[in-house]
Amino acid sequence: MTLSSVSDIDASQPKHLADKYAIAGIGETAYLRGSNRTTRSMATEAISKAMADAGMKASDVDGMLSYSSGDSTFSPFIAGDLGIRLNFYMDVFGGGSSTEALIGIAIGVIEAGMCKTVAIFRSMNGFSQVRIGGTGARSAVPVKGDEMHSRAYGWQAAGQMFAPTFMRHMYDYGTTPEQVAMVKVTHSQHAARNPKAYYKTPVTVDDVLSSRFIVKPLHLLDCCVETDNANCLIITRAERARDHADRPQALIRSVVGRACKPRIDMHYQHGPISTVAGHYAKEILWPNAGLGPEDVDVTGAYDAFTFTSMLQLEDYGFCKKGEGGDYVSNGTIRLGGKRPNNTAGGHLCEGYTHGINMVIENVRQLRGEVDDTCPIGPDGKRIHTHDYSDSGTCRAVKDVNVTANLGWAMPGTGSAMVMVKG
Amino acid sequence: MSEYLKPLPEPSIDSQPFWDGLKEGRLLLQTCSDCGTVRHYPRPMCEKCQSMECHWTEATGRGQLYTWTETHHPFHFGFKGELPYILATVELDEGVRIQTQLLGGAKVGDLRVGTPIEVVLDRATDEWVLPYVRLVK
Ligand SMILES: [Zn+2]
Repeated sequence: MTLSSVSDIDASQPKHLADKYAIAGIGETAYLRGSNRTTRSMATEAISKAMADAGMKASDVDGMLSYSSGDSTFSPFIAGDLGIRLNFYMDVFGGGSSTEALIGIAIGVIEAGMCKTVAIFRSMNGFSQVRIGGTGARSAVPVKGDEMHSRAYGWQAAGQMFAPTFMRHMYDYGTTPEQVAMVKVTHSQHAARNPKAYYKTPVTVDDVLSSRFIVKPLHLLDCCVETDNANCLIITRAERARDHADRPQALIRSVVGRACKPRIDMHYQHGPISTVAGHYAKEILWPNAGLGPEDVDVTGAYDAFTFTSMLQLEDYGFCKKGEGGDYVSNGTIRLGGKRPNNTAGGHLCEGYTHGINMVIENVRQLRGEVDDTCPIGPDGKRIHTHDYSDSGTCRAVKDVNVTANLGWAMPGTGSAMVMVKG
Repeated sequence: MSEYLKPLPEPSIDSQPFWDGLKEGRLLLQTCSDCGTVRHYPRPMCEKCQSMECHWTEATGRGQLYTWTETHHPFHFGFKGELPYILATVELDEGVRIQTQLLGGAKVGDLRVGTPIEVVLDRATDEWVLPYVRLVK
């Protein structure tokens, strides 16, 4: 595919930063249930690995950004542990949709001359300490005050808050549980080619539909896994990334962060509830990219639940409004399909890190450095077979030039990013 | 009365009149004194005209079902005994939507968008009366 020329872009608009920044390094810890480690320990490992991946040493990194809901370790402590002296740091509140938003912030901070390279991390014991799913003694810290206008009647968990949007989508457009179950089925087939994935066993539509109801219409297997892990991305100018590592770079073409519906505390008061924040975010994402959904080779649509991937793919324009059920079940999103989604297995199967692992996977796809179990050649590089049959081991997509990440916080808030190979 | 295990409201200066109204058997909706826009849940400013002046009007307690789900998992121990239960988003005739629980043993398969509902007030504890909804008989 051909990319539109960046020189066509009006430099008076934010678009002039297109392709000027890269994700220079990526790092992950193992996706576990029961890490027996602190978030500080996992974060330092993930950042250290990302620095090694970027070819950088401690003196090359001088900025740090993290996000959490009070369940991580303050970034300056972690920087000190790594021997990094910071010129900039910030720790923000938030979960899903933070990743792309913080990438945009990192670009802005570097552009402002405040620092030169930023490590973004998320470290969470999402299974063994604070469970976002909100069950039992380790459930996420209760939200108080005005949240009690719904909590007193039994509204509490993310599934309860999000599923009414899916229910109304089913009602308005005839979307079926069988269709969205295909998101789990597809991601499980992808995860079977990912040695890092927490759940590696492929499941069927019947497996999803026969799993117990959590919040009808959601079954257990419509919900993502909760895991303990840390992930890191290193953001810097593209030329600096190239100075440190000789490889195809994942360049940031366009980013939109925490775009909102008219209000998020009660998004259900405004507009169709079956429309999500991507409806607004796409008006920034695609014009700034100079590209559209049809140009994208691989997507990473946040799968807190099966239907969250569907709603976002639809509202970002990968299919017509109301046709998301068909889009996710007609073969498009699987490996070998026209536009695979969450090729590492996503939150449903690989692990849960509030969106950042989906960016890591797309960086690997753009670089052609996917860590599946295809054979290693004499030059030490993996020889991808692109065999996506049941017996295949490959999850590398052929000729990836453009990826899109669609991050989800809740129906009312989303973030997104387009990356290109360069 | 046996021990009440569910979360209870935490009134703020903005929402106190709403909770006080329930204790008197009335569902009160905050209404902008400048432009007349009704809003819920209670908050300091009218998002239409940015007025901070408001008064309280009694709702008819009638509305329509907007969307719903059925909870099967005990996210909170206080609700364990009533699983599965239906959570409803309801559009009141006054134009605002409320999130609450649908009582009265309705079957989730019988629910339709637009199904008429009515608000029912239920005494939770000596101190608290809470608003729920049920299908109009
Ligand atoms: Zn007003």
